[in-house]
This record gives sequence, C-alpha cells and structure tokens, in this order.
Amino acid sequence: MSNEILENLKKAILEYESEKAANLAREALEKKIDPAKALNVMTEAVRQVGDGFGRGELWLPDLVGAADAMQSAMPIIQKEIERKGMKVETLGVVVVGTVFGDIHSIGKTMVCTLLAAEGFTVYDLGVNVTAEKFIEAVKKYKADILAMSALMTMTAPEQRKVIAILKKENLRDKVKVMVGGGSLTEEFAKNIGADGYDPTAPGGAKLARRLLNK
Amino acid sequence: MAMKGFTRKFKPLEIITEEQVEAIHRGILDVLQTTGVRFESKRALKLFEKNDCQVDYDNMRVKFPPGLVEECLRRCPSSFRVKAREPKNDLIIGGNTVYFVASPGMQTVDLDTWEPRPATKKEYYDTVKIMDALPNLHLFCCYTPYFGFEGIPEVMKIPEGLAAKIRNSNKFTWSCFSNDCEIFNIKMVKAVGTETIILAMMASPPLTYYNSAIECAFRTLEADLPIGVDTGTVFGATGPATIAGSLVTYTAELVAGIVLIQLIKPGTRTFIAGFPHPQNMRSGSPAFGDIGISLFDVAFNQICRKYEIPCRNTASAYSSSKKMDFQCGYERGIPAILSAVSGAQFIHVHGGMYGELAHHPIQDILDDDVAGMIGRFIEGVEVSDETLAIDLIEKVGPIPGFYLNKEHTRKWWRKEQFVPEVADRLTYPEWINSGKKTAFDYAKKRMEEILATHKVDPPLTNSQEEDIERILKEAREYYRKKGLITDEEWETYKKVLR
Amino acid sequence: MLKGFTRKFKPLEILTEEHVEAIHRGILDVLQETGVRFESKRALKLFEKNDCQVDWSNNQVRFPPALVEECLRKAPSSFRIKARDPKNDLIIGGNTVYFEPGVGMQTIDIDTWELRTATRKENYDGVTILDALDTVHFLSCYCPYFGFDNVPSVMAMLESVAAKIRNSTKAQWSGYQGREVFVIEMAKAAGIELLGNIICSPPLTYYGDGVENIFRFIEAGFPIDVCGGGTIAGATGPATVAGSLIADGALNVAGIVLVQLIKPGTRVIVQGGAGPQNMRQGSPAFGAIGGSLHNVAYNQIFRHYKIPIMDAGCYAGSSKRIDYQNGYEKAIPAVLAALSGANLIGFHGGMYGELSWHPFQAIIDDDVAGMIGRFIEGIKVNDETLAIDLIEKVGPIPGFYLNKEHTRKWWKKEQFVPKVADRLTYPEWMKTGKKSCLDYAKERMDEIAATHKVAIPLTSSQEKDIERILKEARKYYKEKGLI
Ligand code: B12
Repeated sequence: MSNEILENLKKAILEYESEKAANLAREALEKKIDPAKALNVMTEAVRQVGDGFGRGELWLPDLVGAADAMQSAMPIIQKEIERKGMKVETLGVVVVGTVFGDIHSIGKTMVCTLLAAEGFTVYDLGVNVTAEKFIEAVKKYKADILAMSALMTMTAPEQRKVIAILKKENLRDKVKVMVGGGSLTEEFAKNIGADGYDPTAPGGAKLARRLLNK
Repeated sequence: MAMKGFTRKFKPLEIITEEQVEAIHRGILDVLQTTGVRFESKRALKLFEKNDCQVDYDNMRVKFPPGLVEECLRRCPSSFRVKAREPKNDLIIGGNTVYFVASPGMQTVDLDTWEPRPATKKEYYDTVKIMDALPNLHLFCCYTPYFGFEGIPEVMKIPEGLAAKIRNSNKFTWSCFSNDCEIFNIKMVKAVGTETIILAMMASPPLTYYNSAIECAFRTLEADLPIGVDTGTVFGATGPATIAGSLVTYTAELVAGIVLIQLIKPGTRTFIAGFPHPQNMRSGSPAFGDIGISLFDVAFNQICRKYEIPCRNTASAYSSSKKMDFQCGYERGIPAILSAVSGAQFIHVHGGMYGELAHHPIQDILDDDVAGMIGRFIEGVEVSDETLAIDLIEKVGPIPGFYLNKEHTRKWWRKEQFVPEVADRLTYPEWINSGKKTAFDYAKKRMEEILATHKVDPPLTNSQEEDIERILKEAREYYRKKGLITDEEWETYKKVLR
Repeated sequence: MLKGFTRKFKPLEILTEEHVEAIHRGILDVLQETGVRFESKRALKLFEKNDCQVDWSNNQVRFPPALVEECLRKAPSSFRIKARDPKNDLIIGGNTVYFEPGVGMQTIDIDTWELRTATRKENYDGVTILDALDTVHFLSCYCPYFGFDNVPSVMAMLESVAAKIRNSTKAQWSGYQGREVFVIEMAKAAGIELLGNIICSPPLTYYGDGVENIFRFIEAGFPIDVCGGGTIAGATGPATVAGSLIADGALNVAGIVLVQLIKPGTRVIVQGGAGPQNMRQGSPAFGAIGGSLHNVAYNQIFRHYKIPIMDAGCYAGSSKRIDYQNGYEKAIPAVLAALSGANLIGFHGGMYGELSWHPFQAIIDDDVAGMIGRFIEGIKVNDETLAIDLIEKVGPIPGFYLNKEHTRKWWKKEQFVPKVADRLTYPEWMKTGKKSCLDYAKERMDEIAATHKVAIPLTSSQEKDIERILKEARKYYKEKGLI
C-alpha cells in the first residue's frame, strides 16, 4: 500500500502532474509514510528526468515540469519533517536574481528551477535587483549561495559591486557567490572575485553542489 | 526624393484567414481588458487613469477599455516619412514598400576561429562605411554593426555608436536607450538635421513595461520624433508555446505601448518593431533560425496590415550557425523571402551572424546580394504586349530559333534578371581556373575595394562635426558625474579617443 | 500512402487573374500560329487525325485552341503513384507537397570540392541515405548520380533504376534514352509504377526518341512527367519572364496534348523550370531569382489548368561548395515553390548546376525540407492555441510559461526541431569542438549507414528478375556496339 503511494508520487512527478503530486504527498502523510522516504522518491524522480535531459531524450519543458511538480509536493513533506523535529534535507539556501538595470529573466528563472530540482531551497528575487536587496536577502535567508544573472555587458559590473558590499559587510566568507548570464565569461567571473561561473543552468545547479562540497 | 527601397507588386502571402485574424484581434482586446499590462511609471498610470483605463496602483496594472484601444490604433498614420541627413535617404514607411535593415550583433567574429571578440574602433567605423556603400541596405538598426567598440565605457557605447553612424554614413538610423542616453542621441540627430526612430517603447514580456522605456518614450515624443514600439517574446518562456497564443500576448504588449504613445501625443508616427522567437528547448535561448519565427512573422504582418501600422520582421536577422555556412544561408534566405512576400515594411537581413551576438562586414556584403535578389522577386513579373513577346516567339519559332542575338533580349534581360555582386557564378572549369573562389572570397575583395574607394557623400560639415563632438563630451561628463564611468574605464577610454 | 506536407493556406500568387488570362491566351495563340515541331511520324499522324494542322515539310504542328483546352481538361487533377511499399505511395495534386532529391552527374571530393565519378558503393549508399531521410518522398531519375564508376554510359540509367529498386521502397521516376523497354520490364518485375517522362527541346521542339518513349510508358499504364526541358530566358526563350512563360508553357502544353491524345485521362505531372541565362558564361544562371519568378508564375498558370506540378529546379545553385551562397540559392527557390503550389520539389543533395551531388548535402537538406514543410502547414488558431485563459493566469512578469502543461503539450507541434543544424549557444559550441551542420551531417550519415535497412528487401525472385533484365540489356547494347 505505502509502496504504491510512493510509486504513484514518483510517477506524478515523472508525468509532470503538479496537483496530483501534492495530493499524493498529502495522502502519503495521512497513511503515515515516512516523509524522508517520500522526499527520496521525489528527488529520484527529478534526477531521472535530469538524466533524460542530459542524454538528449527530454527537453527543457520536461525538466522544468518535473521540477515544478516536485516543488508543489515539497512544502507539504517539508512541513511534516519539521513537525517531527527531523532536519529538513536541503542542500543549502540559494538567493537568486538578475542584477540591477537588467530585466532579462529567462535564464535566471531556469537557474532557479533547476537549483530547486537539485534539492536547494531557492529564493527568487526577480529581475532588476539592486545590490542592497541582494545583501538584505542574503542576511534574511542566511543564504549559503548568492547566484546572480546578468545578460548585458552594461549590467555585468553590478555583480562586482554586490561582491564589494558583501566584503564591506563582512559577509563574503559566509556566502559563496556564483554568476552567470549571456554576457559573462569565466575570465570576468574570476576577475570580479566570484567563486564560480557556469554558462548553462543545469551546469549551474551542479556548480552549486560543488561550491558547498555536496 | 526618398530612398526607393523595393516595392511588392502583388498581393501579400497570407497564412491565416480573415476570421483567424479577427480571433487574434479579439484575443488581444480581451487580454488588454481582462489581464491588463503592468506599467512601472506613475506618470503613465495617471495618464491611463485620466483616459478611463482601470488602474491598479499597487500592482501598477492597467486594464484597457477596447474602445480606447481601437481608437488609439486608428490614430497611428499608415504611412509616413522620416528624414535622413540626405533627402535621397529619407524613408517613406508603409504600404508595400520594403526596406532592408542591418542586423545588430554584439561583437565581431574572428574569421579563422569563428569566435566572437569585441570590435575595435576602426573596425566599427570601417564596417559603417561598408554598409553605407551597399545599395540594398537602406538603413541602420540601433546596435548595428556592433554594440559599441573596444575600450569605451558601457554607458557610452550607444552614443559613440550613433556618432560613428552619423559620421560615416548618411543613411537613416534607428536608435535605442539605456541610462538616459536617448537625451544625447536626440541632440546628435537634431544637430545634423536628421531624425531617428528610437525603439523607445520597449516592453518586457510578459505584459510589462519598465520605467526606463516609458521615460524614453516621453522624451522621444517631446522631441517630436517618430517612435518604435518593441517587445521580444520567447514562445514557451515569456509567451505561450503556441504561435497563436504568443501572437496574442506579443501584440497585446505592443498595442498597450501604442495606446500610451497615442495618448501622450495623438498622431505620432509609430512603427512596430518586435523580436519574436520560439524557445530552444535544449539551451533555453531563443531558437534563432527556427521556422516558427517566420510562421509568427507572416501572421503578424497580416495583423499589422489590419491595423495599418508599419512593422518590421527579424526572423532573417540571425542564424543559429556560428559560421557563414550553408545553415546560415538557409536560415537567413527562407525567412527573408517569407517576410518580403508577406508584407513587412522592414526586414533585417544584412550582417547578422549567430543570435544577435555577432556581426561581420563580409556577411553584410554577402547579404546585399540576398537582399537584392529578394527585392527583385517582390517587384514581380511585368506583363505587357512587349514582355509577352508573342510576335518574337512567332518570329523565332522552333529549333534552330535563338533569342540571344535579338534586340528584345538586349533591351530586357537586365531588367528581368538580378545580377549578384559577389556570388560565384562561374562554370566549373572557370571556377577551377579562378583558384576555386567562393562568394566569401569575392566579398572579401569587395570589402577591400569599398574601404579603399568609398566616400561618404556629403561628409559632415565642420560645424556638424563640432556639434557631435560637443554632445559626446556632454554625455561623458554626465556619466562621469553620475559615477557610471569609473576612473579605470576613463583612462582606457581616453586612449581610445586619442 | 506518404503524407508529405500539406499547404494549409492560399498559395502565393504573383500574377493577377488578368495576367494569367493573358499568358494563357498567349500560349493558345503560339500553339495555333507558330506551332511546335515534333520529330515523330507517329505523333504527327495522331495530331493530324485530331484536326491539327500538320506541316510535313518541317514537322511543325499547329493546334486548334479547343483541342488544347479539351486535352488540358482530360488530365486528372490528382492521382496516385504506386511505390514498392504501399506506405510510400504518393497522391500527387492539390495542396500536397512532396520532396524528391536533386541530381548531380558526379560526386565531389569534400576536401578539394572537385568533381569525381562516384563509385558503385557510393551510389548504392546514396540511395540508402535517401531511403532513410523522412523528407525524401520520391526518387528522381538519375539520382543520386548519373551512373557510377565503370558503368558504360548506355547502362547508366538502367543501373541507376536498379539501385533504387534494390535499396529503397520509395516511388521513382525514370528517364528514357531508348532504355525504357528495360526500365519498364524492371518496374513490372518489382511490382511498381514508374513516372515516365517526355522531354522537349526549347524553343518549341520535340525530338523523336523523347516522343517515342512515352508511347511505351503510356502503353505500360504509367503516369507521365511532361518536362519543359528548361527554357533559358534570353537563349532558348525570350529574355522576359512573361515571354518565357508563354514559350515554355506552349511547349509543355503541346506535350500534354500528345499524351492525352495517345490515351485520354493519362496521369500527367508538368515540369516547368525555365530560368534566366547567365549573360557572362552562357550557362543557365543556376540559383538566380529569375528562376523563381518564372516558377511561381508557372505554378499559378498550371494550377489554373488543374494539372499537378513538379518544380525540379530547386536543387542546383551556382556555388561549388556547401556554403552560404549555396544555402540561400537553394532555400529561397524551394520555399517559393512550396508556397506557390508545386506538388513535387526537387531538392536534396544537389549542388552546383546538376553536375554535383553529395550525401552530406542531402542530409542537411532534409532539415531544410522539414522546415519548409512545417511552414506550409501553417498556424493553428483555436481556443486552445490562442490560450487566453493561460495568458490571464500567467499575467505580467514574473509570469513564466516554460513550466506549464500547455507548453509541454504544444511546443513540438509548433516548432520544427532540425536534426543536423547547429543550435548550440556559443559556450556550448566552443566546448564541443565548434561543430557545424556539415560535421553533424557526417555523423548522421555514418549512423544511417550503420543502422538503416530497406523496409522490404526485394524477394530473391524479384532480385533474379532485375539481374536478368540488366544482363539482357548489357547483351543488347554490346551487340549494338554501344558497349
Ligand atoms: C530575449 C532577449 C530580450 C528580451 C528579454 C525578455 C525577458 N523577459 O527576459 C527583451 C526583448 C525584453 C530584451 C530587452 C533588452 N535587451 Co535583450 N536580449 C534577449 C536575447 C535575444 C536573449 C536572452 C535570453 O533570454 N537568452 C536565453 C537565456 C536562457 O540565456 P541566459 O539568460 O544567458 O541564461 C543561460 C546561461 O547564461 C545560464 N545562466 C543565466 N543566468 C545565470 C546565473 C548563474 C548563476 C549561472 C550559473 C548560470 C546562469 O543559464 C541559462 C541557460 O542555460 C539576447 C541575445 C542573445 N542571443 O543572448 C539579447 C541581449 C541580451 N539584449 C540586449 C539588449 C541591449 C537589450 C535592451 C537594452 C534593448 C533595448 N533597450 O533596446 C533591453 C534591456 C532592457 C534592460 N534594462 O534590461 C543585448 C545586450 C548587449 C550587451 N551590451 O550586453 C543582447 C546581447 C542583444 C544584443 N546583441 O543587442 N532582450
């Protein structure tokens, strides 16, 4: 019985069914299934879709669809884990946004989705985010990683500015900084003192793991 | 006198029915009325409220009454003139006239490695000169050829680019905005007595306008200039994955911008830019070169014809290929011809390489042939007693009859054919003898020729040149004061200026 | 039946109705006043019997307009051509568009871009690749190559047909040159139909063997391609597009009249293909836009006659390489042909002016044909695709569509995903060795060669028959002193 529910939960994610996944998560908890187990099958499902994407069999809408389905079931399971006094399994807290002056949102939104699917807790600050807002969010959410996106050569230097303020506020060694977006290069990222750069969103999710040694 | 461009002499291609155009139009009105559009500008919100729109100040969301929308669409002129530095380069925009516009690319490419790299100042100026010389290139787009050049601060890239185009060409140019640079752009065009179309009213899909775009629109209209409304939907990301659905959101964004413009200043000369793409479902980037763009554009042209507002198509601007290869050829050729037969007034063809990120003058030269050939196509077939040539056919009869030696052939062939400048048209043995030259080799040679011989005619007068330099100086000071040019940038910049 | 592509909107028209009428009247007038030369007694007799005015001194035939119009009406507007595998049958006509390969006399060396004769293996492999490509619906005559290494030229045609029968189950057409007897036998042995062709020589002339062979094809009950033979505007036709439309049109219509007099109701497809002359070299200006002006107008006229149309000339440009010029010179004519009502478009693999063909090119062209096919299928407009409710739900920024069910369901129907085009971003492209469509085409070719099998191989008795007929032919030509 419990196996069947978990199977169905996994299937719901593999079939990108957000509502179904949330309902099954609820059902699982009603049936007293171990929330950690539920979490496991969910992560497994998303990983499976991620692998399919990596092999070129699945496409972005599938990847993002699975991540979304997982996201809809996630809070339900997490709440139960917390209630039980177990530790919430997250790879870490990431604050994400497109820098000030820049309204390009597509790549940034993909990064958010894939980080979440990877198992991170993600706070999406949106676009046109000022340095002050980034710093505030890093403090508020006790972020492990700050991920910034900049699509234009004109706005890329904003990232340098944010890093400078992090230093000034003595936050720089508490948070890893990763950057990305069309206009950036590995070299630029190094130059401004970021901890990591990746040209793709799926690569960004893996990079986040590496940065936290997870 | 004005730039002739090309004239389509037959009915445009239509791929959706009148009823479908209506359905899309009704969808647009409904989205504007029910979903509404976000305008991050108090000034705009107030104006909308005054004109009976329903404004939610908390969400900055505006909902539009359909009557107002249709009224504002009618206020746009269906055809209008914009002034270039030389009257012969004025454009008369609208109807069945087609102009070819250069495609922007952020950087140039290295021809050995095909990798992108920033253009130098000389490359920027040279490329503008080459573009000035190409007969089938009618005007410049804002970021053409490149997004600024090496060594200049980010904030000065747009003004410096515009100055280069004013100096090295007297063709018309569009321009753009960022960090208030439109202030200086407007001053520069006024100083040389021309106009520009700023693609000012730029939406951020889905259904959003940020303040900088709106401010720029107010400035443009104050300066009494024509204006472009613009948006850049990616189907499946910032618009529905279906072409019909994205036609609705995309056009709704543009129409909301038009409403604002026509409320600020009724009758303003307005043209519709826009930049649609399906999403590349592997990388997430726009699927450059995808045929979905053409499906979208051709249907969009039908909608614009209904609104009687001139528009542009960008499908042929960029390819997904990184080289000037076969893929780049078909990814440019197919959309370009489709745009031309379906009624776009502006078509981006020249010079663009991969995905808005690269541009090259050799590509410009190759594309001048493509534009010429497409222009010739839309001019159509002349049918008259003389071209039907029934008497001649009777006279020549069956084999051994021959046409090459006839007066009729001497008179007509050049009008009927388009003869390319750099395409390889040799026979196989000649080609072997020529050292197997390709269109690319001929284009390179033509580039060198143009650079050695072409003169901008007439050049700027001394006083115009002084004005341009003065306005650039003003801009530099403005941004220095604002702290947008760092000391380090300033040092490098000074070296470039020398 | 092979679906091919379906044009879902009105065709592109570049002539007004009045222009079409003027050209039609011009064609009737030229047929009546100037007439056409037929170097065939058998044909002349048939024309005379049907009230044409025949001048036996110069073999010129003048046609009464009513007869011409009646014969045009007798040709069916749509018909089926049978392939070896029924799922590859074609139904030609109306708004369907099929693609067929281009032809090239030889292959090219990809390093030097020079011509050389293909080997037997290359020819057979070429057919296998064409069999594997989804957008190749029909096999042209002389494709991929005009014969191959060590084949005497009289046998080139026959060996080529045999290769296509053996390595593919797709339908095909065939040339003649006095080989039709053997070709027809082979077709019968394999249980297929062949599209025969009657070829003419502009201006206004049909030679004997071109005419003779269609009597045989029609006897065998096969459909006929009436092939304009490529009027060159300024050389074998007037330099004006309008004039060449009349000269070329009159010639083709005369061919259709002959076919319909031989056997009324015979399935006919008409092949235009006039283009301007290259006024420096004298050769046809391959890839010139004048060719498209002619073809699009031609399609409009033959749509008016309700006769299916082949635009065979979209496969050859003037460039000698697989490069940018070749890209636009092939793609623009092909998309114009598809928009304007061609039912069969010659495309894949052809390179310079009918002289060269290459499998890489064919594989890249498979993407181009797919892309054009997707275009003519048009846009679906209904409540679901308009997606007004979804738009309302998503709203302004930060609304996003990528994660929506609607996107998953629709994106693949709306986009065309190419097989060998480079669609990477710059960083990905640099990381993967800067591959271009040419590199991917090579990979795909290797894959096809390693995995593709003909769906229905010939039975051993069919194979025996083919080999026997080839043997007979070889013997026949040897005795005739042609080998
Ligand atoms: C779509 C687009 C738009 C859309 C954006 C819609 C939206 N909601 O996002 C619209 C039309 C609104 C737009 C507007 C403008 N644009 Co724009 N736009 C583009 C375009 C075509 C594609 C960008 C894109 O979405 N790519 C797809 C995504 C998926 O890629 P990505 O964001 O890079 O993300 C990938 C990776 O980089 C990575 N990633 C992204 N972020 C991060 C973060 C981290 C931490 C990591 C690890 C990875 C990562 O993951 C993603 C997928 O793998 C580019 C050209 C191009 N080919 O890139 C121009 C481009 C970026 N735009 C440009 C410009 C100039 C503008 C405008 C200023 C134009 C104007 N005013 O006239 C305005 C900007 C206004 C503003 N203040 O920001 C220029 C920038 C030039 C420059 N100097 O850098 C470009 C390069 C085009 C050009 N050559 O002119 N644009």
